[in-house]
Amino acid sequence: MGAYIVRRALIAIPLLAMISFAAFVFQHLSPLDPAEVVLHSQGVPKITDELIAETRAELGMDRPFLIRYLDWLVSCLQLDFGKSYVANQPVWSLLGPALLNTLKLTLVSVAAILALSVALGVACALKAGRWLDKSIRGLSFVLTSAPSYWLAALMVWYFSVKLDLLPTSGMDSARSYVLPVAVIAIGYAGIYFRVIRSSMLGNLNEDYVLYGRACGLPESTLVRRVLKNSLQVAISIFGMAIPTILGSTVVVENLFAWPGLGTLSVRSVLSRDFPVIQAYVLVLAAAFVLFNAVSDIASAAVNPKLRNDL
Amino acid sequence: MRQRSVIGLAALAMVMALLAGCSGGEKNHAEAPSDKGKVRTELTYAAAKDINDMNPHLYTGSMPAQGMVYESLVENTPDGIKPLLAESWDISEDGKTYTFHLRQGVTFHDGEPFDAEAAVKNIEAVQSNAAKHSWIQLSTKIADVEATDEHTVRLTLTEPYYPTLLELAMTRPYVFLSPRDFVDGGTKDGVKGYHGTGPYKLAEHQTDRYAVFEANESYWGGAPKIAKVTAKVLPAGETTFLALQKGEVDFLFTDDRGTDSIDVEAMRRLEDSGDYRIVRSDPMNTKMIVANSGKQGSPAQETAVREALWQSIDRETIGKQIMSGTETPAETLFSTNVNYADIGLKPRDFDLDQAEKKLEDAGWKPSGGDGIRAKDGTPLVLKLYYDANSASQKTEAEFIQSTARQIGMKLELVGEESSSIASRRSSGDYDLLFNQTWGLAYDPQSTIAAFASESSYYHATSGIASAAELYRKIDEVTASANEETRKVLYKDILTIVHDEAIFIPLTNGSVTVVAPSDLQGVSFKQTQFELPFEKMYFE
Repeated sequence: MGAYIVRRALIAIPLLAMISFAAFVFQHLSPLDPAEVVLHSQGVPKITDELIAETRAELGMDRPFLIRYLDWLVSCLQLDFGKSYVANQPVWSLLGPALLNTLKLTLVSVAAILALSVALGVACALKAGRWLDKSIRGLSFVLTSAPSYWLAALMVWYFSVKLDLLPTSGMDSARSYVLPVAVIAIGYAGIYFRVIRSSMLGNLNEDYVLYGRACGLPESTLVRRVLKNSLQVAISIFGMAIPTILGSTVVVENLFAWPGLGTLSVRSVLSRDFPVIQAYVLVLAAAFVLFNAVSDIASAAVNPKLRNDL
Repeated sequence: MRQRSVIGLAALAMVMALLAGCSGGEKNHAEAPSDKGKVRTELTYAAAKDINDMNPHLYTGSMPAQGMVYESLVENTPDGIKPLLAESWDISEDGKTYTFHLRQGVTFHDGEPFDAEAAVKNIEAVQSNAAKHSWIQLSTKIADVEATDEHTVRLTLTEPYYPTLLELAMTRPYVFLSPRDFVDGGTKDGVKGYHGTGPYKLAEHQTDRYAVFEANESYWGGAPKIAKVTAKVLPAGETTFLALQKGEVDFLFTDDRGTDSIDVEAMRRLEDSGDYRIVRSDPMNTKMIVANSGKQGSPAQETAVREALWQSIDRETIGKQIMSGTETPAETLFSTNVNYADIGLKPRDFDLDQAEKKLEDAGWKPSGGDGIRAKDGTPLVLKLYYDANSASQKTEAEFIQSTARQIGMKLELVGEESSSIASRRSSGDYDLLFNQTWGLAYDPQSTIAAFASESSYYHATSGIASAAELYRKIDEVTASANEETRKVLYKDILTIVHDEAIFIPLTNGSVTVVAPSDLQGVSFKQTQFELPFEKMYFE
């Protein structure tokens, strides 16, 4: 198992290196001079050739490309992502808090998704084909296919403006979490509970269930066993849900004015704040690679057959 | 029973997770508009973006926010230049020396005195980064600035420059920051704090969440009645509208790109609710379509095409229907209340027949079954870029598209972010795009300077026959000390771009404010970028 973990971790290194290179190179794919891009993002009203030359020298852009890349990579490894062109402060002081805010939102959402998926998945599996199963699946179909911005606007209007129960937006109190988490959770839980339902159904038909029943095991014990076995299938899916949600909260954050990664990344892309964009890509890629590795390792821990797959 | 306990447990886990992940601290910024009884003293406005770096000598900060915190020596008003931090000034006969007598007893928000020494340090800080301020021509003409006594500053120019006071009145860069906030004696590499002399001080800033401005109790002009102004970041217009309805925010105004985050219909509904009223400024700028005469292979290179488009636009309907009567049709690039712009240019009326004739005469003939004209195999197709975040531009674009179609011109509409449109403008990669003039306090000189600027309208103007003459006149006009010469030069410049139909005017834009219905004293400055919050109060 130890060897597997080491092998799995080693794969991540070249992957991250490639991603970092891609993140760095795309600044140079823009048809505009990078120094000019910097000046644009700083809102300088009139850009002269003299100013471009000055900026280029100031940012060290006159050095060879590879040297700059390696320089950048080494500082990134020390969590020094440079300085934002727009905010004029270290990238990490912007990215850190945004990452934390999105992480909070993501973790609460994943907990909600997990709870909802398990509850609905189990309920539907046990009542498969009955009206409860059918109505839950029908409703989830409708809710999952509704665009999240539409659902969000509707929910804000109803719960916040009409009933005056919750704030419309922001991150000011525990109540601020309810609506954004609900919007994210509805979208994902509607998909994930089906995974649990079908794997539960598969397991319920296994011989060990029949045998257990024949032996007179209480139904609750059986359900617990079946759920435990079914969850193994879901581990990798849920493992990847965390980075996926981390990277896809843009719409929800925008609507709910959540000061997280989505808001920051969109703002940085629009103002071409490259140091922030590069750091964002890197951090998110690292999250994907990390969670992927962790969920692989977790699956391998549960299922020894997988350990030889690398 | 058992399934129910599973569901119950799951629900419990969800609630626990919810509580665990949350940080405490209830904060409700705005008071509900329906609160009665006591006089309210707080306002919360919605802003699409964070206030950003408030360094007044750079350009990334929010202008409305900077306008509250910092002040300039003089102020641009409808009645001309008025004193602000300078109580009076003398101009030498040769027009090269300006002596400012500073207001006494003014302090920065951190308690530092605002005196001649502080003023000089600020102007020097701006000058040490002159390359970034080249849009403001004064920055290239300051030879020396010195404190002649504690309250007198003498500014010496290399040559007479008539817009000196106008440019000193602008929101940035010639405004004053406490020298204690300077880093290494300057401001170009960042600052340690944001202490100005203005009516409000920045009390708290949470990036991408909100910024709180508190009244400066020792403001030389008297403490403002609105004690607290909060800028709340709300990137989505839908949320802004809902938050206004709920009262979480209670103030909204046109942002510095000229964009309203909610549309006219939404504003009307807020007004109908009785909680809000709408206040509009006089025309401040002109909203227009810029045609890129310098783009190789584009039909926009031809004057006839640009003129035909101009005549195919029904401005009356845009103003009345799309803008619900909130904006008036614009017939020329600058409305006649702009300095030097009342020169009797001939309007091109909405006339589809004449527009068609222009195209016909220029050799654009109908071809194929779709009715789109073509010339030498090039179809008459142009791409029109609009700001995707604007509540009205898309509708305007679609309307213009439909009338242009009637004269055999096909417009392809592309919605983009304002920053992408700005970079298209500087790279020249467009046929047509939506834009606006700089506004009353800056016009005509700033918009005209932009005609020749690479990062602005250089591409748009570079394709016309008289481009060289145009750029020469633009260079001459600001250097001329003689008012009569300036009038003639401005007239020539404006006539050239009008005849060439490069800047196709649509409507005169104004600043729109959505304010609580009992808020008094809502007024405007000469610029579309900031608002005098210090003059507002509740009944």
